[in-house]
Amino acid sequence: MLTYQPGTTAVHRLDPRSKLLFQGGFAVAVFAHDSLAVLAGLTTIALAPLWVASLSPLRLLRGFRFILLLLVIAPPIAAVSFGPSWFVVERALDSAVASYRVVVMLFVAGTYVYTTPVRETRAAIQRHVPGRAGQLLGVGVGLVFRLTPVLVADLGRIRDALDARGGESLSTVARVRRLALVGLRRAFDRASRLSLALRARCFAWNPTLPELSFSRLDVPVLVLSVGLALSAFL
Amino acid sequence: MIAVENLVCAFGDTVALDEISVTIEDGSFVVLTGPNGSGKTTLVRHFNGLLEPDSGSVTVDGHDVVAEPVAVRTSVGMVFQQPRDQFVASTVAADVAFGPENLGLDHDEIDRRVRRALDAVNLAEQRDARIDSLSGGEQARLAIAGALAMEPAYLVLDEPFASLDEPARRSVLDRLCDLHERETGVIVVTHDLRGVLAPADRLLGMADGEIVVDTPAQEASRALEDLDVYLPPASEW
Repeated sequence: MLTYQPGTTAVHRLDPRSKLLFQGGFAVAVFAHDSLAVLAGLTTIALAPLWVASLSPLRLLRGFRFILLLLVIAPPIAAVSFGPSWFVVERALDSAVASYRVVVMLFVAGTYVYTTPVRETRAAIQRHVPGRAGQLLGVGVGLVFRLTPVLVADLGRIRDALDARGGESLSTVARVRRLALVGLRRAFDRASRLSLALRARCFAWNPTLPELSFSRLDVPVLVLSVGLALSAFL
Repeated sequence: MIAVENLVCAFGDTVALDEISVTIEDGSFVVLTGPNGSGKTTLVRHFNGLLEPDSGSVTVDGHDVVAEPVAVRTSVGMVFQQPRDQFVASTVAADVAFGPENLGLDHDEIDRRVRRALDAVNLAEQRDARIDSLSGGEQARLAIAGALAMEPAYLVLDEPFASLDEPARRSVLDRLCDLHERETGVIVVTHDLRGVLAPADRLLGMADGEIVVDTPAQEASRALEDLDVYLPPASEW
């Protein structure tokens, strides 16, 4: 699964607020334009940070493989029609373009996850979303990033343990049911132990957060982000 | 001083701790042993207020664990049996900084504590490494660093040697001895007594929720005869 990787690339050194703003501007642009030429241009813009951050697009896509699977099967499902002309190609094409938009967005989001420590994300959120809402959101984001890779790894281990004892001979439904049940139990167990660890280390809703500061490196990213957002009105 | 008086803790009908009274002096090295289910982990989880007494009291340097949990958790650092359960960040320094950040300390102080804690467990060079990339022994030492960054007066370690190979075990033990020399109280919960009896001042043995052995560690062989715990030969103490 794609997680933060320490590094010193230009993308790593950007202020997380610039990266969040870029994601926002990019999302507005990619969903506002229909032209394939513009989408191709936006794809180039999305791939550039990956290259700077030394992150292989294939590795990124592998990290999002379950989402990709949904995106791939969406167009044929969208094209199915109950009645004469059972398969409407235009609908499949529309859905394919929508899926492609999400894939391009995943490039940007994945680069963010790969280059930004969770505590910086939390700091960025809590600095700009005031009060309890910001604290809840910041802690929520932190916990999701902390627990998700652990739970995904747990599911892999449960699957291996099932297979090691003949689990492959079970029907798909029985296997998935067993995997889900044990996975859920393990998830609650993990959450309980994490909660204990947080208490032992004096968990606080409003801790000292990392200092954030914009540098000259952020200026072109901020300008590009605003430009992308404004391009929606052109 | 950690003072436990008439501590009772029950889970449903099962009495885990049965009127336990014990005191642990500042700077001492205590080994707490006993068979599985004897109440060791339950007892030490009261030391920093992770569990609350059903009756009786636990105080740390005069602070009641129920009334003043933050003061108590700052004084008593806890290292869990599975280090991975304790990690809350993806990189070494970020995880060690987590506790001091929660105390609201300023950035210079947090940085100083992180450096000191990582130096103490010989992980300074891995400061920016991902936790996943560390070996089992290094993860065990990182868990200790996470607790040390709170600058506790006492460090409680629950089965710190579980699933460690011999070099990693030795490395963790050496770090504990260093901490003890610097007058940090060390409380090791373990049923594997290899290597911990020599540096220890005191041995506590538990069975069925009671402390049945309380003796200088050097007298372990006589004291543990009736307790269902493997006592290694004296050369491995």
